[in-house]
Amino acid sequence: MNGAVATVGRDLGRILEALGGLILISLVVPIVWGEYFALPALVVSALVPLAIGWVLYRRFQDAEAPGRFHGMIVAASGWFSVGIFGSLPFLLIAWSVQLGVPGFTTPAQTATLAAFTEPLNAVFESMSGFTGTGLTMTDNEEVLPRTLQWWRTFTEWVGGVGVIVLTTAILSRPGSGSLTLYESEARSKKIHPSIVSTVRTIWWIFILFTFISILALWLAGMPIWGAINHGMTGLATGGFSITDNSIATYDSVAIDFVLIPIMLLGSIAFPVHYLILQGDLRNFYSDLQTRWVFGYMGIGSAVLWAFLYFAGPYETPFAALRYGLFQFVSAATCTGFQTAVDATNVALGRWPSYAQLTVTFGMFVGGAAGSTAGGIKLIRGLTLAKGIRHQIADVFYPESAVRRLEINNRRLNEDEASREFMEAAIIVVLWSTFLVVGTFLLLLTLPSGEYSLANVLFEVASAQGNVGLSSGITGPDSLPTIGKIAFLFHMWIGRLEIIPVLVMLRTIFKHGGVYR
Amino acid sequence: MSAVFEAGADDRIFDFLLLVGPLVIGLIVVLGRSLVTEAVAIAYIAAFLGYTLYRGVRPKLSNTG
Repeated sequence: MNGAVATVGRDLGRILEALGGLILISLVVPIVWGEYFALPALVVSALVPLAIGWVLYRRFQDAEAPGRFHGMIVAASGWFSVGIFGSLPFLLIAWSVQLGVPGFTTPAQTATLAAFTEPLNAVFESMSGFTGTGLTMTDNEEVLPRTLQWWRTFTEWVGGVGVIVLTTAILSRPGSGSLTLYESEARSKKIHPSIVSTVRTIWWIFILFTFISILALWLAGMPIWGAINHGMTGLATGGFSITDNSIATYDSVAIDFVLIPIMLLGSIAFPVHYLILQGDLRNFYSDLQTRWVFGYMGIGSAVLWAFLYFAGPYETPFAALRYGLFQFVSAATCTGFQTAVDATNVALGRWPSYAQLTVTFGMFVGGAAGSTAGGIKLIRGLTLAKGIRHQIADVFYPESAVRRLEINNRRLNEDEASREFMEAAIIVVLWSTFLVVGTFLLLLTLPSGEYSLANVLFEVASAQGNVGLSSGITGPDSLPTIGKIAFLFHMWIGRLEIIPVLVMLRTIFKHGGVYR
Repeated sequence: MSAVFEAGADDRIFDFLLLVGPLVIGLIVVLGRSLVTEAVAIAYIAAFLGYTLYRGVRPKLSNTG
């Protein structure tokens, strides 16, 4: 066990060092925007994870390379730690404004910023950011200091690709350990034989696409600060906004339609992006997941459009198309940008329940594995659907028949098919179980009669799918403390596809004598 | 610089776009919205899309040629 502690401690130290580096980079924002009062808080926020990470790394630097078990615990504990320590800028800047910083001019406190003086709210925001969820504890993002607007965006941008991917890319270490960690962060496909080269290429693609997204949004009419923030969170399928009513604030058809391909880009796997940039455009339709990104989004949007136009709140076909298409893509890519809010039209939480459930289904399935999107992932849904069809058809064949299951141009024999089917089924069952348990918990803790079952199911699916769309439940005052803690857990397990978190919890309970 | 050239799509045009991206955004931040900055942004996106499509159809063109 000591060996395991050393391996996990060493890699956790690296992750914390990387987090400290991210906070240090963010010092540029308060300097450029003249928010000098935020500097001491940001420096302290960076030094804490840097110091802990440095101590852990120095103490255990000779530890063995991680195996699959260690990889899962590093992933689970790493994401949890990043959520905790990433909350420091929220917490300390909010307290800096509350108490005033000697020698600096501090702005007046706002109710929105004051919410972050509660540590739980700050941790919620940080976890929501890093997991790419986008549910928020802010009432009005516009009044936040630019430093915190940036930090929210930056957490989602980094979290979209992955904290471990970042750590591997920057603090690379040769050997098999990096591959194990890479795979533990819900990724499997490599772009190059070398894992360090793979993660660097992922970042290369992600950064290039970020520039494209920012410029496209700016050309569509968004101010540059909004374009930078929304380009980053849109591509990362995170969904944090810097405006009070998310994308609805702009009330622009052009911006809505420019964001749709940006969100879609984020929900396509990085290896496919790489092949497309290499000139292999066939991957748009030859790759099963990418084909289904378009097919599934198209079908879902069409169904939602029909619900919203023929039996729903919108009077013109175009209005139903504009809001239906955007909200389904936003949900299914797990971005969580909202255009359907009360200020401009009909809020999502007041859509007919069947329309809300259509969006919930989109959040449940999510985007492609290996992308920035959440949910159970398209490949799992397809494996499950094909596997069920395979199992049912089995009855009609003689026992001696040799059958193969074809998934994504791979022909699987009975054993392989059974293994992949079982893995997909386990994830879906676990995902559904936690969704139901979370829904029960929220129904018990929310004021009775205030929210419908569709509202609650929607919100829990949004947290667990790392989506961030809200039916109006999440907020510093509207969500009870138990609900906030439950959502922290949902966001965490959703980002890591549940298993690593369960492995870590089992290890902790077993070590503590609770579980035998 | 060497890290940029070593990673990515192994293509100098895409590497160039990646390197000038921050400069284009910086230009927009400094100069604001104007005909010049809009033209630069359009050129950047057009270069990316055009070159991606060109790389996609180039093998077909050379095969037919």
